[in-house]
Amino acid sequence: MSLASILIAVISFILGALLALLTIPVLVWLERRIASLVQDRLGPNRTNVFGFRLGGVVQSFADVVKLLLKEEYYPSHIKMGRWLFMFAPVMTFSVALLAFMAIPFADSLYIDGEILRVQALPIDFGVLWYLAIGAIGVLGVIFGGWLSHNKYALLGATRAGSMVISYELPLGLSILAFIITYNTVDFNAMVQWQSGTFFAFLPAWGILVQPLASMILIVSLFAETNRNPFTVAEGESEIVAGFMTEHTAMKFAMYFMGEYIAMNTASAVIITVIFGGYQIPWVSTEMMLQNFSTFALVLMIVVPVIVGLLIKWMRKNNTVRPTVSTDSGRNFETKVLTIVLLGMTVLIEIILFYLMFFAESALANSVTVMLFQIVVFVVKLMMFNIFFIIIRWTVPRFRYDQVQHLGWYYLLPLSLLNLFITALVVVGVN
Amino acid sequence: MNKKITVIPRYGDSFKDKLYLPAIYDGFKVTFKHLFENVSDINAVDTLEYPEEQPTDITERYRGLHRLTHRSDDSIACVACFMCSTACPSNCIFIEATEREDGHDEKMPKSFFIDTLECVFCGYCVEACPCDAIRMDTGIFSLTGNSREDFVLNKEQLLANKGAFGEENSCARD
Repeated sequence: MSLASILIAVISFILGALLALLTIPVLVWLERRIASLVQDRLGPNRTNVFGFRLGGVVQSFADVVKLLLKEEYYPSHIKMGRWLFMFAPVMTFSVALLAFMAIPFADSLYIDGEILRVQALPIDFGVLWYLAIGAIGVLGVIFGGWLSHNKYALLGATRAGSMVISYELPLGLSILAFIITYNTVDFNAMVQWQSGTFFAFLPAWGILVQPLASMILIVSLFAETNRNPFTVAEGESEIVAGFMTEHTAMKFAMYFMGEYIAMNTASAVIITVIFGGYQIPWVSTEMMLQNFSTFALVLMIVVPVIVGLLIKWMRKNNTVRPTVSTDSGRNFETKVLTIVLLGMTVLIEIILFYLMFFAESALANSVTVMLFQIVVFVVKLMMFNIFFIIIRWTVPRFRYDQVQHLGWYYLLPLSLLNLFITALVVVGVN
Repeated sequence: MNKKITVIPRYGDSFKDKLYLPAIYDGFKVTFKHLFENVSDINAVDTLEYPEEQPTDITERYRGLHRLTHRSDDSIACVACFMCSTACPSNCIFIEATEREDGHDEKMPKSFFIDTLECVFCGYCVEACPCDAIRMDTGIFSLTGNSREDFVLNKEQLLANKGAFGEENSCARD
């Protein structure tokens, strides 16, 4: 164990925990804001700390404080299994968190002949880990619903159970098709496979190589995360809050946050397996390292352009209408954020300039590439999370027998057929 | 028997409909268009930033907070006939009558209370009034206070409310 390996392990663990936990408030806010904007409303945009609204993200932190300070109410009719009733939300939450840990945020680093994985859990069987851990998450839902001794909660738990048997098989089989195609159970190797091309010009992303399996994977992951159009375990109109009817305050918050982490994890798995993970199309890690000065030059041009567009958008939209008398400090906020963004851009430019012309260190180059890949990963992750959210406000809900019908009559035969064809092609090519 | 019969086509049987994905794609286009347009110009979203922006589309027929009208010499138009409190379905108007000494009519209210927490803003009092003495044309739609007592309006407060649409005095008493 060298110092570098310990450092990378600690950094990637912190990064994984941050990416999973810090995205919860952002995702809750994004959900509310995007819902509003899709429906031509504004959404939460007022909460601020010293005038800094950041578009309203602060609202989520206020919500968390509210949920933490709420009375911890325990329903007195629950006599048996108290600890399991309390433990069920924790289970859903922590399982969703653990499943996220197997995702690679950047390509492995090669330092002094050591291969260092940029993964919170440096394992090379990530897919199996994800499938095993991800399947436990629903147990928290079922326990919580069963132990509530409440009709709505029980119905919610039953529905969650029926969901599991409808999506788990197609999910597993579609991932099996990817395992056969990529010939690995390692998420990082999957991403590396996808950095190539096929048919000479298309990026070899899973969605292009395996379109059918990709669709099945996306649909079953929507089902696994319990999100629209597959929200069957809870339904305002029929069974109130479903399995979490009796859970209050922080217990409810655990379920709630677990749902968002699960969504984040599902997005991460989708982009890792079928959208090229941390790679940008056509460009592999080796290519970036070999042509580092070109890469740095392109980055030096692209970063100011993106920041400029962001500042332009902010100056236009971080304002109030002329009819409103007070701007609640938005001009000040825009000014400060502009300075911060410009400062960061200048810093990045200086560092890239230095790396391009003065430093000849391979380590510095690969660390730069790693940071770039982490940024690409986060951007892709957020884009897919936004896709999840827009789908929620687009599609009406399925009934839970319809989900089973979909799973058993359509997704399962299709994934079996796809698996068969994949196996034939792979054997034929080899 | 020459009725026109419209046969409504049933959808959902074609392969495209059963595939479900084209429909999701169409829906996604709609929602994404709304999102994109609103993100690129957030001030064009057709909502009011309420406490800072006040509504400008309150019409003459809008039933706002009540007021008591004046005569041309600024005395009260009300003659304490109790028609409004009789018509009131939520019994929120409390009048005490007294003799009138300014030479207009025989009676006037000594006190006139409206409990706006009870009021359902139906406008029956306005309909019932023979003197055009109570009106709901102030255009005030929000009344705030710190205690229940703040919402019980007395005669002076009701007389102080101004009409928002031009007509100040009672049209039935001069």
